[in-house]
Amino acid sequence: MAVSVSTVDSTSKPPGDVELPTTPDDAERRVPPPALVGGTPAAPAGFAAVKADNREGGFPTLWLIAPATLWLLVFLVLPLLGIIVFSFWDTEGGKLIADPTLEHYRDYFYTEGFFDSESRNFLTLSVFIRTLGSTFYFTALVMVLCLIVGYPIAYFLAMQVGSFKWQMALFLLCMVPFWTSYLIRAVAWLPMLGRRGLLNELLLLTGVVDKPVSFLLYSEFGYVMALVQIYVVLGVGPIFFSLAKIDKAIIEAARDMGATPFQIFREIIGPLSLPGVAIGMIFIFVMLMGEFATAVVVYGGKASTTGTVILNYYAIANYPFAAVNALMLMLAMMIGVVIILRVVDIRKEL
Amino acid sequence: MTTKQKRKTERSSSRGVSRRTLMGTAAGAAAVGAIGGFPAIVRAADPIRTIGLGVSIINEIQGQASTDLGFPVRGQALGYGAMFGKMLNQNDQYEIAEGYFNDMDVFIPSKVWQPIDTTRIKEWDKVTNLSKTGKLTPESAVGQGDAPFRHLWLDENGERVDGPSRYISMVPAWHNADSIGYNPEETGRKIESWAELLHPDFAGRVALLNVPQIGVMDAAMAVEAMGIMTFKDKGDMSKAEIDELINILIDKKRADHFRAFWESFGQSVNLMVSGEVAIQSMWSPAVTAIKAEGVPCIYAFPKEGMRGWHGGLAISAKVTGKALDQAYEYINWWLAGWPGAFVARQGYYMSVPENVKKHLEPEEWDFWYEGKPAAKELPDPFDTIIVEKDEVRDGGSYWDRFKNIAVWNSLMTENDYLVKRWTEFLTA
Repeated sequence: MAVSVSTVDSTSKPPGDVELPTTPDDAERRVPPPALVGGTPAAPAGFAAVKADNREGGFPTLWLIAPATLWLLVFLVLPLLGIIVFSFWDTEGGKLIADPTLEHYRDYFYTEGFFDSESRNFLTLSVFIRTLGSTFYFTALVMVLCLIVGYPIAYFLAMQVGSFKWQMALFLLCMVPFWTSYLIRAVAWLPMLGRRGLLNELLLLTGVVDKPVSFLLYSEFGYVMALVQIYVVLGVGPIFFSLAKIDKAIIEAARDMGATPFQIFREIIGPLSLPGVAIGMIFIFVMLMGEFATAVVVYGGKASTTGTVILNYYAIANYPFAAVNALMLMLAMMIGVVIILRVVDIRKEL
Repeated sequence: MTTKQKRKTERSSSRGVSRRTLMGTAAGAAAVGAIGGFPAIVRAADPIRTIGLGVSIINEIQGQASTDLGFPVRGQALGYGAMFGKMLNQNDQYEIAEGYFNDMDVFIPSKVWQPIDTTRIKEWDKVTNLSKTGKLTPESAVGQGDAPFRHLWLDENGERVDGPSRYISMVPAWHNADSIGYNPEETGRKIESWAELLHPDFAGRVALLNVPQIGVMDAAMAVEAMGIMTFKDKGDMSKAEIDELINILIDKKRADHFRAFWESFGQSVNLMVSGEVAIQSMWSPAVTAIKAEGVPCIYAFPKEGMRGWHGGLAISAKVTGKALDQAYEYINWWLAGWPGAFVARQGYYMSVPENVKKHLEPEEWDFWYEGKPAAKELPDPFDTIIVEKDEVRDGGSYWDRFKNIAVWNSLMTENDYLVKRWTEFLTA
């Protein structure tokens, strides 16, 4: 089965699917799977063995992690250091000058007329902080919706579908959108939501409206809906896995002892699936904070995300300022991930 | 189709001689001695590298150059930001920069390119006055902003000088003038002014280009045409002017005037084909693409004038010796007509029209340059028919179009401030 999945994945990826700009995200995506595998019953023993081995000398373990460490060092840590260094460099008309300055950080936070009660900008935060804020707002909104939509899907797969075969088949079905490029998934919304789109045709046909409505596309509504559709599966996966490993006997026992379905959920299923929820939410959070293409395609560029700001400054070759924005975004992402981890202690729960 | 395939095989065979095979051959050849036809391969050993946008870097163009010139020309098409950054910060990574005159305020002082000696440009005299004086015809108006003639003339050290001189920053090549595209069935009237872009009649059905430097120029044309604001120089706005303009735009955006902001050519085509917008700032080749989808579209010819842009060919400061000769050969090849005819079929113009004429069929010349109805079906550069018989190109003849350039694409002194305020406009 694993073989068939990987072949499909590698062949179905269109050649134009550019993955380069998301290196940090990629790294995030690549790291978690071991944790998921660690969730299967066999793994804890393996973990313990590795730990013991580590204590006894750790030589093999060091060799095992060497490729990953090297990879991360070269493709994550070094570029990151580069970004940090660039953020302090001076620019003159697009040309980089290795002369340390804090100017770009000042520009990031500073608002002209902040203390001037006559100014249009009186007591408003800088546009870049506000952009980061709106990026965060959409991220939080979409995360909540993904949880509301995604949890029942995962629950159904793990609890209601009896056979393992069917669970896997349906789970793979959930992953179908991922077989195509990210951009195609976003673009696919256009013929659906547009003024001459499917939904509008339907509304016109049924006489609900007499002329096409435009709030569906290039609007907050359409944007959020597309984001939820694109990212919800990232949440379903981990939640499904953590639900699937719950021992059905516990639920049986609770039912025998007279617990109501709500009690079972609150006392057993809910807490036991929390690690999956947390991991899923971290996936979604990290992807959404770096989001920029959907805003362009489905929101018609009418909202700026920090991702688009970085692109805009990259486009005028102001790399240091793009770097400052990237670092602030990363800082916000780190804070977000820490908060999620604070709410759920994944290590303990696993 | 067959010619295209032939061209492709020719190109791949010329590319087949890679540096690695050559080093092997060279090592062997040193012992064996001269082999027939060997000198031609030696020339192929040193390719020249050229970078630019997809407008001028197209496999077919650099492939044809390789065939015609006898040495490989390797093109790399980049996005605007990547191109700009690479040109500026890595001038050892290319020989030729296919750049744009609106970036010259950055490139001339940076000295990353060398002054070009016009005595080595064979047909320099034939390059029209559009780029030399700003006036294509004696009665033309001179536009505001970064017109080529304002950034053309240098001395041998690369410092700016006034008026005609022996050295230039970049050899003027492909160019065009942009305005507004609209669907006449949706607007219900002929669009003849930039003011229509902000007209309340089209609220919710308008799109702008989401490139701050250009988008703001189109918006400036609109507010000026509406008479609600004036600019000292639209090509170099002051902070106060940028503020006033962006505030007007923010109010318009909050009133839901704009349907979307497009970033790519394809997006602008989709917006009109799918019926989302009735009128938008647009690049002229989009008209053909929209009409090809069966949606009526007209490219407006506003009375205030159009917004021009001009590309050209520059040489990196690092290039010397034989590579420099090759670079000049490539530039001369560009002016000689074949590439001009190629880009003409996409709707762009060249700085030496008379040479382009030699490489176009008479019907093509009449349609693309003279603005006359097509005498027969006409193809794009890739042999797809895109012009129906009797179709007329919007905007009239080349000379009509460039007689009235209101403003040229520009890089303003306050560019950073502009981008910041544009971000605010989009976030509002």
